[in-house]
Amino acid sequence: MAVSVAEHGHDVGHGAHDEIIYQETRDMRLMGFVLFLFSDVVLFSSYIFAYIYLRNSIPSWPPIVDGHQLPRLDTAFAAFNSVVLFGSGVTMHWALEHWKHGNRGRFDLFMWLTIVLGLGFLGGQSYEYAHAQIGGWSGNTFGASFFTLTGMHGLHVFLGVCFLFVLWLQTKKNVYDQHHFFGLTAGTLYWHFVDVIWVVLFFLFYLW
Amino acid sequence: MDLATIEKAVAFIGALVVFTFAVIGLRGEWKKTGLDDNVTKVLLALMAFGCFLVVLAVFGVLPRGGGA
Repeated sequence: MAVSVAEHGHDVGHGAHDEIIYQETRDMRLMGFVLFLFSDVVLFSSYIFAYIYLRNSIPSWPPIVDGHQLPRLDTAFAAFNSVVLFGSGVTMHWALEHWKHGNRGRFDLFMWLTIVLGLGFLGGQSYEYAHAQIGGWSGNTFGASFFTLTGMHGLHVFLGVCFLFVLWLQTKKNVYDQHHFFGLTAGTLYWHFVDVIWVVLFFLFYLW
Repeated sequence: MDLATIEKAVAFIGALVVFTFAVIGLRGEWKKTGLDDNVTKVLLALMAFGCFLVVLAVFGVLPRGGGA
């Protein structure tokens, strides 16, 4: 991610030769970025399958700790917080679309909406961590799985927010133009990816 | 009206809005053929599916047995 952002200083090509080089390197960088996302899918998958294994190896879920069954997580709040994150995915998509159409004012608006919604999601996650009645990180398998997976996802969201803020700063420094904006494409793909991982986690922890 | 009801109402309205804009975005991407466009299609579709899951949660269809 850092590499693809750093390379964007060369995004705005000059002349036909630069344009050809830009297109060739863009395709390679895009493939590299998609492979990076795949590697993250593998990372999350390993933890998710560990959670599924743990869950299926215990007769009752949530598990019984000290003679009492742990309560389910707050589905209503999670649904609300999920919509905040999914909404940020949509605003990011429209930010990129407005950039492609040269509407920088609306790009700024949607980019900042995305960042604020991302921070809102992190705030909601913090609130849930403070109020979840499922024990701590090391208290039981439910708490350990929940905090590990959602914590790792939260870290990705935080890094994504930083990524988007850097991209926004780069647009202010004219690193990209209407036809050369690989960084923004990568940022949008990353943000959608983070959203989709949450779809899986939302189902596993709150709806299953 | 308790807090959970308000959260569910906001989540339901938000899910409908996000689903609608995700589908509009998906339609806009539909005829594009680049790698980034195709990945975006998959991710937008999954995000729309996420909104569907939110609606199921709001109406108590999932989780089975009712949530907290």
